[in-house]
Amino acid sequence: MNGLKGLVIASAAGLGLLLGGTAAAAGQGEVKLPAFEQTTLPNGTRIALVPKRDTPLVDMVVLVRGGSLADAPGREGTASLLAEVMQKGAGKRDATQFAEAIESAGGALAVFTGAESLGVTASFLARDTGLMIELASDVLLRPGLAPAEFDKARTLAIQSIAAAKDSDPRALLGEYGDAWLFRGHPYGRPVDGDEQSLAAVTLDDVKRHYAEHVRGDRLIIVVVGDFEPQSVKGQLEAAFGPLQPSSAAMPAVQPASRVEGRRVLLVDKPGATQTYFWLGNVGASRTDPARTAQSLVNTVFGGRFTSMLNTELRIKSGLTYGAVSGFDRLSEPGAFSIASFTETGTTVQAIDLALETLDRLHADGFDAPMLESAKSYMLGQFPPTLETNGQLAARIADLLFHGLGSDDVDRFAARVSAVDGAAVRQTIKTAFPSSGDLAIVLIGDAALIREQVGKYGPVTEMRITDPRFAPK
Amino acid sequence: MNHVACWLSLGILTAGASLAQAAQAAPGTLPGADQIVSRTLPNGLEVVVWPDHDIPNVAMYTWYRVGSRNERPGITGISHYFEHMMFNGTKTRPPGEFDRVMEANGGRNNAYTSPDVTVYQNWFPASTTELIFDLESDRMHNLDFDPKVVESERGVVYSERRAAIDNDNFGTLDEQMRATAYIAHPYQIPVIGWPSDIEGWKATDLEAYYRQYYAPNNAVMFVVGDVEPEAVFRLADRYLAGLEAQPAPTPVTTKEPPQLGERRISIRRDAQTPLLAMAWHAAAAPDRETRVMEVLLSILGDGNSSRLHQRLVEQERAAVQVGTSLDQGFDPGLAWIYAVVPPGGEVGKAEKLIDEEIARIARDGPTPAELAKARNQALAGFWRGLQTISGKAQALGTYEVFHGDYRKLFEAPAVYESITADDVKQAAAAVLRPANRTVGVLEAPATTADASAGETP
Repeated sequence: MNGLKGLVIASAAGLGLLLGGTAAAAGQGEVKLPAFEQTTLPNGTRIALVPKRDTPLVDMVVLVRGGSLADAPGREGTASLLAEVMQKGAGKRDATQFAEAIESAGGALAVFTGAESLGVTASFLARDTGLMIELASDVLLRPGLAPAEFDKARTLAIQSIAAAKDSDPRALLGEYGDAWLFRGHPYGRPVDGDEQSLAAVTLDDVKRHYAEHVRGDRLIIVVVGDFEPQSVKGQLEAAFGPLQPSSAAMPAVQPASRVEGRRVLLVDKPGATQTYFWLGNVGASRTDPARTAQSLVNTVFGGRFTSMLNTELRIKSGLTYGAVSGFDRLSEPGAFSIASFTETGTTVQAIDLALETLDRLHADGFDAPMLESAKSYMLGQFPPTLETNGQLAARIADLLFHGLGSDDVDRFAARVSAVDGAAVRQTIKTAFPSSGDLAIVLIGDAALIREQVGKYGPVTEMRITDPRFAPK
Repeated sequence: MNHVACWLSLGILTAGASLAQAAQAAPGTLPGADQIVSRTLPNGLEVVVWPDHDIPNVAMYTWYRVGSRNERPGITGISHYFEHMMFNGTKTRPPGEFDRVMEANGGRNNAYTSPDVTVYQNWFPASTTELIFDLESDRMHNLDFDPKVVESERGVVYSERRAAIDNDNFGTLDEQMRATAYIAHPYQIPVIGWPSDIEGWKATDLEAYYRQYYAPNNAVMFVVGDVEPEAVFRLADRYLAGLEAQPAPTPVTTKEPPQLGERRISIRRDAQTPLLAMAWHAAAAPDRETRVMEVLLSILGDGNSSRLHQRLVEQERAAVQVGTSLDQGFDPGLAWIYAVVPPGGEVGKAEKLIDEEIARIARDGPTPAELAKARNQALAGFWRGLQTISGKAQALGTYEVFHGDYRKLFEAPAVYESITADDVKQAAAAVLRPANRTVGVLEAPATTADASAGETP
């Protein structure tokens, strides 16, 4: 979680490289994307190359449009299992040989799944750039999809959800939150499936997703690091050019309607000594023209350590280790949510305080010094988000995916500086829900809080061991 | 999973490289590495600066040589609690001002406490460097303990404990294992503190801690980023030279006696997936044995091609996940292997398979390919770890504080290069033996009586 102080040990696992031309004299937050070469192959695959030679490393991100939104109803987790099984043997290597090839070179290669895309991230020593391209293209063009590997991956995926339910509930709060907020809408379907839907997915489902969506015109490839662009461009053309375009339709999504009124999902975890709560409504999209103002307001409300929420729930009252808020930005508006946790006995006190703080945002907004404070914070903390190869590759892939230009980065500082009081007021009104309109999820000991939380709205109850993230 | 584990990741990152690659990793070939400069103020505070102008930002990490290792019954957890109080007001700035001023000027901060050290991290635009020195200096000189905040912060830490330990099965197992594996040494104390001590800390305990441990001669500051060393030293002179040196803190002298036989603990609490963990007494951070143990654990448990993953997860399906970690502190720490057992799975089977893999590597040693793999992973990790200003500050701190000299960071590759298959084999035989370990199992209660007995108060 953002903005929390404590035991969490800093991980130094940064990958990558630094942007040039960002002298302090240029002003805080004034980072510009390096110029990069873009190509579209005849099959529709888009390629962006950013040579950076500060260190002998190279990073790669491949996005494949489609993602879990293409999963059939009741078969959530299909795309996620495909992503998992694709790397369990591909090209000439079986699963073990494939892992050995990555790890023996000191490389890292992972597949991931999102609602709107799946993909590959890779990081290798520069001397192994050819191997990286070979392995990534094996995954995407020549996955083995062996039945035994599929069975194993599906079993492990189901067991891993059970393991997560035994661990820190913070990790699953968003899963329940999205499912409860977006019930009946595609964004409410679990990206990696749930225990019940995963059990229903077949290898044929997985193969169908592969055939329909992992196609040339769906790919965006970004490589950042220490390499020769002409050579790598040639290698990528040869490796990915043969992937034919798709003839299937892209999953279509309509914007979800906002929740009106409040409804409560109580997830019973007997013996829990804290209640973990999530309050959400439909927020804003990745390309929302007001996204910078929204992020600024969120910085003040729940996006940094001294935010209104953390000040009330942690700093002033000691009710929690941390309280945060944020926007999930997809092609259409995802969730805006508030999340925190507190000792079971102070559940109502903490939720009331979160709601009051949201009311105060709507009633009073914030003053000009606070606006300036938030601007400085956003500008000051922006350069480290584009410090590494991996960060840069992911950002450029994201821009290409959403049809955003380099301006999204290059004009960030200008957009932040332009936010004024009127924009703040407008943003609070349009993007931040009223405390009366919220989907609420509570994970905790239901026997101890069931009665008290009825005051927030009609309560639906389920057990954390139920094999889903949503009630029946 | 445990407080020191992530740290580890850096120790492992800097591990290993072939001789040819070791030359590549010399300071001169890292941007700015040949410009690292260190100066010790007359009061004993050492300041190390690594200029790196790629982004207009700075990472400042201040390391204090104090952690839960310095505690005793009655004040367990106070190092970490003190860490929280370092953000909560001075004689010149009211509670909250430190964070408000820093964030309003584009900066961000955090801190962490381990059994050995407490580290304060500031990340900020280079243009605000002097302000950050002012803020840091203020809390080093003038920390104050507002009674109201002393109480409310107790609630924050208790909440942190509930989240990280009490409501997380791995956190619970980890805490109980450490308390069992150490019978004499204070590594038995959980960093977060035992609940009754969280309830009992007093402002006078905090004041005593401040005097004894938060002295300039017990700290090292690392400043990495878009700065010039001379300018940083001028700021250090202006803001930090006035701190008075203090008598050296009481050293921790207790040594854990050799373990005389295997210890086993069983924890009963709601769990769909049982957990198994084993922890062996190993070596201290700077010891060569620790480098060897990193390589051994990497071969056993790092990545999908590792021996334990292949055997337990892929072949026998006896675990959902298996992993290793290694404590690296001032005193001998624990080497860990853990497994998440599938719902309805047999903990005993996972244990037997792990034992077989340990016996195999203790008997036959690693293959040349496995040693080469460990080296390549370390080389790539070395570069990855040093590519952010934060990563550099963390790496410098690790080597300066635990190995006695930040320059040893750049010697690490050669140390790893010297590790042989025989070293690895002998480490497996000498350390990973039953009499030297604690085995912990967390699983669902067999009966209702067990369930209530296993609840956390």
